[in-house]
Amino acid sequence: MSFEMWAEKYRPKKLDDMVDQKTIVERLKSFVKSKNVPHCIFAGPPGTGKTTAALCLARDLYGEGYREHLMELNASDERGINVVRETVKTFARSRSIGEIPFKILILDEADNMTSDAQQALRRTMERYTETCRFIMCANYSGKIIEPIQSRCAPFRFSFLPREEHDDYIKHIAERENVQLLPDGAEAIFEVCGGDLRKGINTLQAAASMNKPVDAKLVYSITGRASPSDVQKMLTTAINGDFLGARKQLRDMIQKYGVAGIDIIRQIHTEIFKAEIPEPWKIKLAGITGEIDYRLVEGADEEVQLSALLARLVEAGSEIKKAN
Amino acid sequence: MYAAWPVKHKPKSTAEIVGNPSAIKTLSDWLDSWNKGMPKKRAVFLYGPPGIGKTVTVEALAKDLQMEFVEKNASDYRTEDAINRFAGLASQYGSLFGGKRIVLLDELDGLMGNADKGGVKAITDIVKTARCPVVLIANNAYDPRFRTLRSYCLLIEFKKPPASAVAKHLTRICEREGIQADENALNFIAQRSEGDVRSAVNDLQALAQGKKHLTYDDVSWFAYRDRQESIFNVLRMILYGRTSYGAKQAVDMADVDIDMLFEWIYENVPAHFTDPHDLAQAMDALSMADVYRGRIRASQDWSFTRYVIDYMTAGVAMARQKSEVHGWVPFKFPSRIMMLSRSRAERAMQLSIGLKIRRKCHISAARSSKEILPYLRIIFKNNVQMAAEIAKWLDLDAEMVEYIVGNKAKAGTITTF
Repeated sequence: MSFEMWAEKYRPKKLDDMVDQKTIVERLKSFVKSKNVPHCIFAGPPGTGKTTAALCLARDLYGEGYREHLMELNASDERGINVVRETVKTFARSRSIGEIPFKILILDEADNMTSDAQQALRRTMERYTETCRFIMCANYSGKIIEPIQSRCAPFRFSFLPREEHDDYIKHIAERENVQLLPDGAEAIFEVCGGDLRKGINTLQAAASMNKPVDAKLVYSITGRASPSDVQKMLTTAINGDFLGARKQLRDMIQKYGVAGIDIIRQIHTEIFKAEIPEPWKIKLAGITGEIDYRLVEGADEEVQLSALLARLVEAGSEIKKAN
Repeated sequence: MYAAWPVKHKPKSTAEIVGNPSAIKTLSDWLDSWNKGMPKKRAVFLYGPPGIGKTVTVEALAKDLQMEFVEKNASDYRTEDAINRFAGLASQYGSLFGGKRIVLLDELDGLMGNADKGGVKAITDIVKTARCPVVLIANNAYDPRFRTLRSYCLLIEFKKPPASAVAKHLTRICEREGIQADENALNFIAQRSEGDVRSAVNDLQALAQGKKHLTYDDVSWFAYRDRQESIFNVLRMILYGRTSYGAKQAVDMADVDIDMLFEWIYENVPAHFTDPHDLAQAMDALSMADVYRGRIRASQDWSFTRYVIDYMTAGVAMARQKSEVHGWVPFKFPSRIMMLSRSRAERAMQLSIGLKIRRKCHISAARSSKEILPYLRIIFKNNVQMAAEIAKWLDLDAEMVEYIVGNKAKAGTITTF
């Protein structure tokens, strides 16, 4: 076993190494061949190879010294307009030395940029096209303002299909001498849903136990990484104890750092498993969807999710009344 | 003699100003550049939340650089004519003795509505033709009204200084006033101020003036008693309001900021809305208020605050239909705030680990604490060797390792592996 983060160790280095997103990879290869790259948007869920594809493209294009022609910025950490004004501009306007006349700027998690910053970016992109090409990675392309979208070639990344996901996980397990049982691989796909980064991290955390990796171990890992007390919280709410449920929610968010988006995804799954009258399930799913949407816009995950808990309390009391 | 401490202890030079070193440097460089001829931008636009030293910085810099200083609050000068009169005086002609001069237009947010329509335009004209440095100050430079004006200005953002910097400033004041103050007492005041230095100094004066010694006990009641007296009335007006107007009025009475008031409401709604339907409606209103907080953050357009207020006051009040509260239900201090100072330190730690992860893993610090850190926790608890190698690979220090495993002894075995 090696002891760095496997998700990095096994990150593909060249476009040829990428296991999935075949059509996208083919187009990127044609960019390399013609030595020309347009501005791009790589949109898609986490762990599907957006950043990897961008890095591979750069490496194939410039060779081993690619770092000199590349800048990686993360919009979640540097989302303000000043970054665009200073860092991005300085990088974008200086000419690249070498065969290829432009540099590449990877703007990761670009959907987290403020709209002001995006507006500023739009002009920068236009002005310095000669010297710099932008690759914007984002979960939701809809959060990128229209004028930028229209200047970029769009690429949609999707979750890895089951087979390719399993092959990759198994490949890593083999290389690291981890005993991965068939139901273990299945469980990893089940909990990570094709998010390869999450899958590899789960495999590594499971492997750190020095036991054969089976479904039970995987579930216990993901249970601890994001405690699935969600079911318990749901029951507490439906039974009418709002404050108790809110307390559980708070612990999940503050103590364990579980992301609101993961909690709501689990709530959605649990609703259909819960012992409530059938017509209520779709009603509650609709409410969950509304809060899911507000989570994206809102400022405070706990506030949004506890509004959902209050709805569950309400549903619980009406179900009781109907009986 | 009674003097307000925020004035009495106003920083005399930039060295004494709390926080924002890079903003101050940018401003001072720009002022300096006037010595080499007229710079490209003839005005700077300082912006940021109240009480963090925007105006004070300009005053101190003027003093440091021995410049003459002409100041007007734009809120006094509302009409185009008035602004122009002042502008002519200040920026078209050099100072009488040929000295250098700064013109400051403060509180631009105060220019409001149709009555001031010409105001922003007049200011823009001044900026275009200015012959001396013009400094503009507002809380929100990204108000759409300032769009044109903005393009003629060098924008400098002032941010809330960290609590530690505020505490240092408080310490300096206590020394001058001859008060011996416990460190945790000052830290408490600093934390509570949430970066508003002016309010922190006001609080300090209220609590410490006339004392020889200031302890934690002297200050801790401040949040829990005195302020609650008035917050209780405000909460009653909101949670039991019968009209939208009445509930909204309560905001003006509150001596806490909107975010803190939101916390008070969010904490107390469940105990005072006993009917499940009412509770769901009230929580829904808070959810919508929060959506608008998110929109403010995304757009930087603070005028959306009015909708935050609508939902968190009138929205909550109107949710009450069947809920009846029997007997005395006390209002509770927001429990999230009590947890906040602890989780604030925790967030700082998560961020510094996140920055390390970012260097290696092509993921933002913000997301790494959610997507990578949980797995590191499991690995670090179960596999010393793997933990040690990863810690080395990520370049984590001993403190970070200890935070991840949550146990000093175990952290020791990892760092010395």
